Parts: sequence; C-alpha cells; structure tokens
Amino acid sequence: MTKLTPQQLAKVQGHLLRNGSGDALLSELVDHLACEIEHYVWIGLPFESALDKVLMDANAIAVRHLSETYRCELTLSDEQLQQASLDDIVFEFRNKAYGAYDLRQAYRRNLGNALMMGLGMVLLLMSLMNGIGTKNWSYLSTTGLMWITGLLGVTLALGRWFHQHVQDKYRTAE
Amino acid sequence: MESSGNEFLRGTLKTIVLKLLSEHGRMYGYEITQSVKERTQGEVTLTFGALYPVLHKLEQEGFLVTESVEVDGRLRKYYSLTPRGSETAVQKVSEFERFVEVMRTLLQPPPSLASVSR
Repeated sequence: MTKLTPQQLAKVQGHLLRNGSGDALLSELVDHLACEIEHYVWIGLPFESALDKVLMDANAIAVRHLSETYRCELTLSDEQLQQASLDDIVFEFRNKAYGAYDLRQAYRRNLGNALMMGLGMVLLLMSLMNGIGTKNWSYLSTTGLMWITGLLGVTLALGRWFHQHVQDKYRTAE
Repeated sequence: MESSGNEFLRGTLKTIVLKLLSEHGRMYGYEITQSVKERTQGEVTLTFGALYPVLHKLEQEGFLVTESVEVDGRLRKYYSLTPRGSETAVQKVSEFERFVEVMRTLLQPPPSLASVSR
C-alpha cells in the first residue's frame, strides 16, 4: 500500500487546522484521514481525488461538530474541578502529550533542584578559592563548613534529579 | 442503518469500543472504525466525529491507556484497556445483552393479543 508523503500529510493537517480542529485531536485526526486516503488510493483512486473525497467528508461542519461533542463529553466535572490544578484547567482541551504539560508539571521541582545545585556550586567554588588563597585547609573552619554544605547541596540535587529521571522512565514503560 | 441507527448507536458506543479493545488488545482509531464496518458488513459506520470523543472520555475516566507510536511519518495513538477497563467491558457487555433481551420481549406482541388478532 502506498503511503502518504510528508507534503501530502501537511496538506491534510492544514485542512484540519483551517476547519478549526483543536490540538488535542489534531495528530490523531491526521492519522485517521491519512488512513482513509491511503485506502482510497489502494482501491485505485488517484491521490488528488482521494484527498478531495476525504476532505469533503471532513468539512468544516463535521470538524466543528466533533469539537463541540468533544467539549461536551470531556469538560471537567465539578468534582474534578475541585481537585484540578491550574495546569489541568489550562490543558483541558489541549494536547498533553506534546510536552508542555509535563514541563509545567515538573517546573517547580526542576527550579528547586537547579537552585540547590547552583548555591552548592557557588559555596564549593568560594571555599576552594579561599583554601587556595590562604594555602591552608581545615574541615572545621568556616571555609571547611562551606565546602561540606556545598558538597551536600550538589549531591542532594543530583540525587533528586536522578531519582526523578528513573521514576519518569519507569512510568512511561508502564 | 441510516440516521435512526445512529440514534441507537450513540448510547452503545462505549460498550462497542470497550468490547472491541478487549478482543484485540491494542487498536487505533481508524482500525476501530474499520473493524466495526467489517463485522457489521457495512451496516454500522462510525464517524470520526463520534468515535474520538468517546475514546478520549474513556481515557479520562481511566478505562483506557494510550501509547503514541510514529508510523509512516505520523503519530498513531494506540488505545488499550486498563484492568479497570477490562472489568467495565465485561460488565457493560452483559448489561447490554440484558437490555437487548428486554427490548426483544418488549417488541414482541404479547401472546394474548396475538391470538385475539387471529
């Protein structure tokens, strides 16, 4: 069976966007319509007529009807709204798989990690420079304590980052 | 079945989708429409406008999980049942079968009436 080229797929996607398809459904609809077109091409229609036929069926009315049904069906219930975060509400009809949702969800955690790591590194650098400058080193001096705190901070941040990374991997593999 | 068929279909769409997924394991949207078409010999055609809202709703309710795979340069979203989804599939199918039974007895003329008309 012949497959659609990227240019042909872009044509389908453009048509859907012009007709107001929401982005929660877009990639799925592109695949759906592409399958239909490939089916028509396979039974002998030239690509252009297959495209016209499929796009005529998926016209503005059909796509708008879909978006409306979608909104009716998937609006968060009051109960769900009580527990929903701002991210859940912002992304209610959006494509969560695209990545922005995950980035936002992880933002606070990443910020905390980065801050801890940054502070730790500054402490390490300061104590190191102090140690080199004064040419003596004791873990029990202020410099030594700064070194230890910095080291702890960086280790903790790295540990948390690694832990999160492993968890994410495990979750997607599930 | 034309538009009147669609009216009956609307309430049973969830059951159909759950049942198909419990038989096939992992399916994508177009595959579901084709499977319905084949098995009913073209009597029932699901439009994408009816199918995708139901799929996403079932996913939101925790009955389905999805998995996106790149196929031929586009993203294909596969749906499969969660354990809770499998339970619901069994339950919905048996409820629907019961409903069909009840409907059949309702549509048959009662035996007394049948004998009177003869």
